[in-house]
Parts: sequence; C-alpha cells; structure tokens
Amino acid sequence: MTEAGAGARRTPPGGWGRWFGRPGKSLTRRLIWLAAGWILLALVATGFVLTNQFQESALRRLGNVLSETTDELVVRTVTASGKVLTPQIMDAPTLRVFSGKYWMTAEPTPAGGLRIITRSDSLYGEDLTVPTDLPGRLDDAYGQTITYNATGPAGEPLRVAASMKSLPGRTTPVVFFAAIDRSNVDVDTRQFATLTWVALLILGFILVSAVFIQVQVGLRPLYDLRNEIAAVRHGQAARIERSYPLEIQPLAEQVNRLLDHNQEVVERQRTHVGNLAHALKTPISVMLAEAGTAEGPLPELVRRQTRVMQGQVDHHLRRARAAARAAHGLGETTPVPEVLDELAVMIEQVFRDKGAEIDWRAPDDLAFLGERQDLQEILGNLIENAAKFAMRRVRVSAGASGLGQMIVVVEDDGPGLPADQRETVMKRGARLDESAPGSGLGLSIVEDLTRAYGGRLTLGDSEMGGLKVVLELPAAQAA
Amino acid sequence: MRVLLVEDDADLSRQLKGALADAGYAVDHAADGEEAWFLGDTEPYDVIVLDLGLPKIDGVSVLERWRREGKATPVLILTARGAWSDKVSGFDAGADDYLTKPFHTEELLARLRALLRRSAGIASATLSCGGLRLDPRAARANVNGEPLRLTSLEYRLLHYMMMHQGRVISRTELVEHLYDQDFDRDSNTIEVFIGRLRKKIGSDRIETVRGLGYRLAPLTGESEAA
Repeated sequence: MTEAGAGARRTPPGGWGRWFGRPGKSLTRRLIWLAAGWILLALVATGFVLTNQFQESALRRLGNVLSETTDELVVRTVTASGKVLTPQIMDAPTLRVFSGKYWMTAEPTPAGGLRIITRSDSLYGEDLTVPTDLPGRLDDAYGQTITYNATGPAGEPLRVAASMKSLPGRTTPVVFFAAIDRSNVDVDTRQFATLTWVALLILGFILVSAVFIQVQVGLRPLYDLRNEIAAVRHGQAARIERSYPLEIQPLAEQVNRLLDHNQEVVERQRTHVGNLAHALKTPISVMLAEAGTAEGPLPELVRRQTRVMQGQVDHHLRRARAAARAAHGLGETTPVPEVLDELAVMIEQVFRDKGAEIDWRAPDDLAFLGERQDLQEILGNLIENAAKFAMRRVRVSAGASGLGQMIVVVEDDGPGLPADQRETVMKRGARLDESAPGSGLGLSIVEDLTRAYGGRLTLGDSEMGGLKVVLELPAAQAA
Repeated sequence: MRVLLVEDDADLSRQLKGALADAGYAVDHAADGEEAWFLGDTEPYDVIVLDLGLPKIDGVSVLERWRREGKATPVLILTARGAWSDKVSGFDAGADDYLTKPFHTEELLARLRALLRRSAGIASATLSCGGLRLDPRAARANVNGEPLRLTSLEYRLLHYMMMHQGRVISRTELVEHLYDQDFDRDSNTIEVFIGRLRKKIGSDRIETVRGLGYRLAPLTGESEAA
C-alpha cells in the first residue's frame, strides 16, 4: 500500500479523509461508501432477524410449558351441575405464593367481560391481568391458545396463555389461563442480542476492511497508471510501458497514442521553426556580403540589422533544440566512443593544415544518457575549440565516474586562457579572438546543453599547456 | 583553378561568382542538384563549393554519388544547418570541409585555398596490402574501395604497419612511431589503437603474435585466392 500512500501525500485531501471523507469525486471513497452502506443494511437486517427469531423461539418454549399447564388444567377440571370445580394441581410452583407460575379459570359474562372462577394458590387471591379485548379474541379463535405478555401479582413480567374450551355438561365455555415468569427469557434474549450485535459489528468491520483492501488492490493499476503518466510528464519516461488489466489497457494505449500525436505535432512545429530559421540564413549571407565593407549609412544599417536578424535566428534555433530535448525520449543512450571517433576524424580533417592530432580515449561501453545530437553538439564545439587553439595536440579522455555520471576532459597544447577571461567566453556569442571566424566559441551553447542535462562545465589549466575543459554529464549505467 | 559553385539562391550565387572570379578562379555555376551532379561528374574541377539545400537532388545525395563514382575532388559544404549532427553527416557523405551560413566571403576564400593546397599533387605512390590502400600524400586510406575514416593516430599506425607489412612489430616500436613526443608511452595505448583499427579495417587484418607484437596480415583468406 506504499504507492497508494505516496499518492495520498500528493493529493490534497490527504490521510484518512482521502478514504472516509465525503464520497465526492473519489472512486475509492465511492466504492468504499457504497459497499459499507450495503454491508450495514445487510448486517442490521440480519441482526433484527436473528434476535427476533431467538426471542420467538424462547417464547415458544415458554408457550409449550404454558400449554402443558393448561392441558393439565383442562384435564383436571370437572363440572358438577354447571359449576366448574378445579382441584389443586400438585405442582409446587403453582402452590407457592407469587412463585411466578400461575393458573386460573374464568367464564365469559353476558356483558362481554370475564368472571374469574378459580385460581391457583400461587396467585394468593390476585387475578391475572386480562386485556380488555381478550374475550373478543378468544371468541374469534375458539379452542385455540392466545398468548400475551402481562405483569404478574409480584410485578414480575409474565407470559400468559389463554384458551377457551367447552366442557361436557356445561353450556358456557370456560377460559383457562396459565402464566409463567418470563424474566429469564428476557435476560436470555437481551444477552443474545448483545452478543449478536457485537459479533455483527466485528463482522461489519472485517467486511469493510476487506472491501477497503479489495478496492485498494483493485484500483492499484489505476494508481500505477497515474504514476506512469506523471513520470512521462516529468520527463522520466517517454511512454506508458507497463501492461495493465483488460479494463484500463485501452486507456493506457490511448494515452500512448495521445503522446505520439503530441510528439508528432511538436516535431512538426519544430521542423517548421528550424526550416524557417535555416531558410533565413541564406538571405542574411547575401545581405552581409552585399553590404560588404562599404562605408556609408545604408551599408552600416544593413550590417547592423542583419546582425540582429542573425541573433534572432540563432536564438530561435536554440530554443527549438531545447524544446526538442524536453519533448524527446529520455532514456535514450549514445555510445561515446562512436561520437568521439567521428568528431575526431572530422575535426582533424578541418584542421589538417596545422596537423591537428586528436587523441581520444574512452571505454568501449561508455554511453551518454541523452541524445546523440546533443552529445555531438557539446563535444563537437569543445573539440573544435581545442583544435582551433591547439598547437597540434588535443587530448580527450572520457570515463564513467560512478553514480550514473561520466566525465569528459578536453585539453589542448595551445596558449590556454587566463582565469579572468574564462568567464567571458561562457557568455553567449562572446568571442575573444574577434578575427577568428565563426559565431563565438560556442561555449555558451555547450553550457546550455550541459546544464539542460544536469551536467557541469568547468574550465582549468591543462598540463599540456592549454585550456582544460572538464565536463560532467549523465552516463547510462553499464548493463 | 576551376571551381564549381552549387548554390540555388540567385543573389548569393551572383555575389560568390563575383568574389571567386576576383580571386582568380574560373567559376561554373549550378543552381540545382541534377545540374551539379552532371557538371561535377563530367568536368575536371579542382574544388567544389556545394550548398546542401538544393532543388531536385539535395547536396548530400549529390556528394554521395560523386564519391561512389570515385570522384575525389575536394568539396566544401555550404550549409545553413550548423548543428554538429549535420556537419557529421556531411563529412560522412564525403565532404572535406564545411562552412556555416551566414559566412564572410573572405572566410570561404581562405578555406578554398587550404583545400587546394592539401589536394595538390594528390597522385602519388600508394601503399597497398590486400584490399587495403593507403595514399601517404593525401593521407587517405580505403579498404576494398570504401574510404576509411581514420583519426591521425590511427592513420599513422596503419601507415607504419603497411610500410612494414608481413613483419612482426613490437608494441614498443609502434608506440615510438605513433607519438613523436614522450606522451602516453604505455603498451596499453597500442592495444587501444590496434583495437580501433581492427574495427575499421577488419579484425583478421592485424594478427597478434603473442609476446612479440603485431603483424599486418598481407592477405586475408579471401584475397589470397584472388
């Protein structure tokens, strides 16, 4: 979950609020809240059903006891000349006063009420509570048992069973009542309910946690995808490389297609800018040549303005290059020996008149982490400068310096550069030797490029006598 | 001295023609790649100034064709594209020098003079060994007709080995002839350069004779039969 954690740090509503805050626009929260809702509903319903069932079955057991009592009552009851006589039932609880087990018999009165005929000793002269609508209900359910809750003579909660029966030799039916203390049932039910709700609460917690984990695991590819897109945006990757689950693979592919398209558009724009800038160079040459070295206000103006134009062209070309670098694939590697070899051959040829000798050394597997064009530009300018100012010899030594860096040292046996002038040459287009052709030392371009790659450029004295340029650049890790 | 000027911009062509004529050159002008290729192929020029952005056939292709056909005339490339990657591809195509636009006319004339000086007396005794040929005066070498792109140290090493082909040359001897001063005289240096040469001319060309040194094999198996 470390990646999700990292994500949480990046997104504003961090911490727990991210998971349990308002559902809002978060998929995670939406999924978790929805699942939690369903789980809550299901668990509450389960809880009610379970506790109800438990109570009902407990009451049913009580009812069985009660119906045994009424049965016994019915069996033992005799009628003598219309009178109901009930002998004592020799069941200890029904004899002990307020024991919690009672019985009584009654007969309906013409007024619709009930008149008590006999009662158990345990009632001690009291009556069982009779709901006012009971006679009517007994009439409707003749012969069946009706149970209800009531309060006993000692204030205890009672379960009462009543049923109306006809007795032989008697026209008026008799209502038999049996009652039993139900406080045990109440306690059991409460205990069961407590247990059930605690268990369900724990279950709910476990389920929500499981959902949480499931959502995390399920949405992990989305976070991965987001991180990969972020890496592309930060220039750490060129494309979405990983493969994703069926559902979001198309999204990843579309993102890649979009990146390609973007790249294409940028490339096209850059080509346009480059073409325009390059196309302007010929007219600038023509104007410079035409103005020549002639004296007068017009040639002077043309010379001045063409120089401005040239500056603009160079500036925009450089920017186009910089944009290219920003958009272009990082992770591209360029073998250093190859570039050094082609540059050495070429620059020696250009400076053959003075017998320039470029001695380069680099390990075969040394690779620059960046584009070939950029390495060519950096090293080309440095080596050309060195060759320009060298008596004859230029030495280039390149090597990895660990930690993904490499160092290139370019030295020559020329006159070198005094320390106070070194800063000047780094300035854009600055040129120490105004008579030497070309647009400056090109060191500013080298510095721009080097900095763009997070590298470093330092100038010093070479033991060979001339300038020593030390260049630090990112290197590809040897495989 | 005859020079072929290949440039499609009319004004620039006019200026350059004037400047070249003033400097004493006989100038022919071609405004597109096709014409340039034809002229360069048929006329014996001493030097060619070639613009890269040309109608019909681009400059690099024209140059590649000339070189494929064995034309060795020195070529100076005029290009608006000043990036080193462009320069490198120009040289790969066979250019001898380059000049980035915008440029000063004097600069162009100086470069042309240097090119002509170098190519003067190009016909000279060449050294050969199997398919390897080396022209000491022009400081050029080729293998089976393909020009080799050697740095001066590599060239010097190859030159020495070709002068002593068939003989085993010790590392010390090679180091002494590679550097004219006392730089970097360790035997590892030689191994580095032998390695690079092998890459460029074919690894079986240079034999390692253990404990003694190296020998340039006079003939490979293939050329032995020929």
